[in-house]
Amino acid sequence: MTARRICEKWGEGMFLEIKGIRKSFGEGDSRVDVLKGIDLGIEKGEFCVLLGPSGSGKSTLLNIIGGIDHSDAGYISINHEKTGDMKEKKLTQYRRKHLGYIFQMYNLIPNLTVRENIEVGAYLSDEPLDIDEMLHTLAIYEHQYKLPNQLSGGQQQRTAIGRALIKNPDILLCDEPTGALDYRTSKEILKLIETVNQKYGNTIVMVTHNDAIKAMADYVVHLKDGMIRKSYRNENKIPAQELNW
Amino acid sequence: MRNPLNKRLPRELKSEVGKYLVIFVLLVTLIGFVSGFLIADGSMRITYDESFEKYNIEDGYFDLSKEMTENQKTAIETNGVTVYENGYVEEPLENGSTLRIFQNRDEVDRVCLMEGMFPDEEDEIAIDRMYADNNQVEIGDILNSGSRKWKVTGLVALSDYSALFSKNNDTMFDAVKFGVAVVTPKAFDSFSTKEKNYRYSWVYDTKPANETEENDTAENLIKAIGKVVTLEAFVPQYQNQAIHFTGEDMGSDRSMMIALLYIVIVILAFVFGITISNTITKEANTIGTLRASGYTRGELVKHYMVLPMVVTAAGAVIGNGIGYTVMEDVCKNMYYGSYSLTKYKTTVNAEAFLITTVSPFFIMLLINLAILSSKLTLSPLQFLRRDLRRRKQKRTIRLGNKIPFFSRFRLRIIFQNRSNYLMLFIGILFANLLLLFGMGLPIVLDHYQENIQQNLISPYQYMLRVPTSILSEESKVKSLLSMMEFSRAVETDNETAEAFSAYSLNTTSEICDSEEILLYGIQDNSRYVSIDFSKIEGDKGGNGVYISSAYADKYQLRPGDSITLKEKYKGDTYKFCVEGIYDYIGALAMFMPKAQLGQIFDMGNDYFSGYFSETEITDINSKYIGSVIDSDALTKVSRQLDVSMGSVMYLVDGFAMLIFIVLIYLLSKLVIEKNAQSISMTKILGYRNGEISRLYILATSVMVVLSMVVTIVIDYYLMLWIFRQIMLRSMSGWIQFEVDSSLFIKMFVTGILTYAIVAVMEFRKIQKVPMNEALKNAE
Repeated sequence: MTARRICEKWGEGMFLEIKGIRKSFGEGDSRVDVLKGIDLGIEKGEFCVLLGPSGSGKSTLLNIIGGIDHSDAGYISINHEKTGDMKEKKLTQYRRKHLGYIFQMYNLIPNLTVRENIEVGAYLSDEPLDIDEMLHTLAIYEHQYKLPNQLSGGQQQRTAIGRALIKNPDILLCDEPTGALDYRTSKEILKLIETVNQKYGNTIVMVTHNDAIKAMADYVVHLKDGMIRKSYRNENKIPAQELNW
Repeated sequence: MRNPLNKRLPRELKSEVGKYLVIFVLLVTLIGFVSGFLIADGSMRITYDESFEKYNIEDGYFDLSKEMTENQKTAIETNGVTVYENGYVEEPLENGSTLRIFQNRDEVDRVCLMEGMFPDEEDEIAIDRMYADNNQVEIGDILNSGSRKWKVTGLVALSDYSALFSKNNDTMFDAVKFGVAVVTPKAFDSFSTKEKNYRYSWVYDTKPANETEENDTAENLIKAIGKVVTLEAFVPQYQNQAIHFTGEDMGSDRSMMIALLYIVIVILAFVFGITISNTITKEANTIGTLRASGYTRGELVKHYMVLPMVVTAAGAVIGNGIGYTVMEDVCKNMYYGSYSLTKYKTTVNAEAFLITTVSPFFIMLLINLAILSSKLTLSPLQFLRRDLRRRKQKRTIRLGNKIPFFSRFRLRIIFQNRSNYLMLFIGILFANLLLLFGMGLPIVLDHYQENIQQNLISPYQYMLRVPTSILSEESKVKSLLSMMEFSRAVETDNETAEAFSAYSLNTTSEICDSEEILLYGIQDNSRYVSIDFSKIEGDKGGNGVYISSAYADKYQLRPGDSITLKEKYKGDTYKFCVEGIYDYIGALAMFMPKAQLGQIFDMGNDYFSGYFSETEITDINSKYIGSVIDSDALTKVSRQLDVSMGSVMYLVDGFAMLIFIVLIYLLSKLVIEKNAQSISMTKILGYRNGEISRLYILATSVMVVLSMVVTIVIDYYLMLWIFRQIMLRSMSGWIQFEVDSSLFIKMFVTGILTYAIVAVMEFRKIQKVPMNEALKNAE
């Protein structure tokens, strides 16, 4: 077994290191073990897809990676810094500097324009990316002065992506970003995520139940009943444009 | 980079303009009124305090039965005082009022000219400004007493009559039926000696350092003057109600206003808190996303606090502006409507600014900070999941299937919004308390006037002016001679007249100011006071008494209780035992047999000091009549309260309704907003607007009606307690808070009509809730 394989197996030395993560909800008879010991390692700039059916624990794992939920056991280490050791204030600072979030629900601020919603993200960074360039990349430049309710679902999700990306986070966490979108728009969004991954080099962890998306990922992890059933690095990944489902 | 979230603020303000506007209007009105009041009160107090020096207000006065000689004056002045003549005549005018006329003073108790000119000719007069206002007398008018006529040349304020008390022991002054005036020295001299009352004012050469020293000095002075002349009355300045009542009353009004301000600010702060809390619930997902992206709790707390604080600050600043301009005039006129104060100068009042601007701002800041900090302690994930309950709901309240579906639905809405309804209840409780005060006081005063007229001991009650020499402790012979002279002078042929003796003592309560209790000594088999004293005489060692129902009500006394009273100016105390309550609301009084009163105070069996009479007594020299207590005299309190508080009551009513509307509007609006998604969904399901309104508006209506009914009952008992406290602490005498049940119906109807306006607005709001609201949030 090569050194890289060993590291890969335990996630040790990786940019994003997930080690022995366990999580349960409820107590006594109603206790449900959602994550039963997850070990993963993701390299910087990698595009990782967490796949699995509803209740497999993928969103919970994403939330623990993002520091908005706590594990019962194990740790998350990002660039050799364990998030579990951080107090709430430091964790907030950490999210502020290093993480970007995209959700299935866009959660835009309704009375701010597209541009202003993206500025909300830019405010968090000392060196944000150029907003105009971002608006062009997201293909919403011409909509920048519109309010969210004047946009289509796809445009709203682009804005949400812009808000997450503008601070140029090390890791972009995406929770079912295409879950509420139609086929064509979903593909556009995936293409966009692929583009930013290539352009800005962010590490991307995406939760999805759409099996087709695994084809565009560098690293694919299948979860079921709180355990990793299968994980592999995708040697033959294809562009988002070519995905079909 | 400036926080881009700030860009939402003007838009948020615009989209919620109704909510912020009503709170802003309420704040401006409240702060404007209170600040105007405090500025006027502060300036008025400064004017009042300065008037003592500016107008050289006397340190006291004494009355004599005849003019003092120069030698007597010199002898009195050896006691460290300067004595000034300050005599007056009292002229009953054709308009039914009495005018006390002084010679214009230029040394002591100087007069402030408010308007017009001082009199120059013998037939000219300058009258008290407030008396003129109350009797619609203007400069240039002619006053007629039957025998004399005067032309009014000016309106004045006599510095020693800021409250127009005609007699120092009156419960309340009466600026409608009593006024003061000044004429030229020549005009004053034209009155006969019989008409003149010989009053002398004194000023200490060296002012006593404190109240105790003032009291001791006055006690020594009365003894010293008593050796030189025969005193008819002796009133040191600190006991003179005409001078001091105003100053004392100002303080109590001020505390009430500040309390009102703080109560409303706290309620508004909670309303803001609930509103923001609701906004947070609405924006939970966005907040979750922002928190997940790295926004700190502090940044979000700050963001959500900006608008309430801006609205409060703007309300306070504009309120203060209005306070210094419009409301100051209104409040100043309220004072001028109650008191005869000298010329007023507005003084910038830093304390008023602190109370009306800085304090409300900090109250708002602290309450909102507490609510927001607590709300935003939830984790980003809880926001993202919209799981905003601090504690998990352990059980769902089960509602039986027998309850109709619509009722169950409404009950669920009520359970869901219980914090809003609790705040609504508190708001209605407070608004109704104000409404009860505003609408109730005129009724209470009317009742009092009606009751007192039916409850007189006798249609005429004469209190005789007993020369102080009768009570001389030093010479029994002198006392006896004076008594004989007095008895002869006050004999009457009126067959309905019945003599009584009277004495006054003061209460010894620790919680409120000492006040006067009138002790009546009643003749055996009295035709006016039907108390059977035979049962109590002897067995209580001469201390068993009946007390008036007013006394019993005010101090909550019952038969069997014991009472300790004290001499007004001495330390002697007396104990009495309450044997029964006599139905008399006109005064705080005590009744006992005449012989018993004479025995207790060592006044002998023949001593008497007044008459009860069926008809007017006309054959006693008016100089021996101290006062006549008829229905007119007893209703002074209510009349004056009506004059000075009448306009304030309308303000209180209006303000109560404003609070009522604002709270119901804001809180029922919140219920609708909170349920916008459900309303939208029910629309999608096919419910009609009317049906949806029956669900959502009716739930709020039920809570409003329930709150109205419950708070009216609570407020009534609360008001009984508050009114008693006001009476105990700041008024002598007793007025019972007695209102008709129709008042409660009026209050209820007022509340319901107010709510109806809001309900119509809410119905329109429900009609406007778009159907895609449900879909939008489900994205």
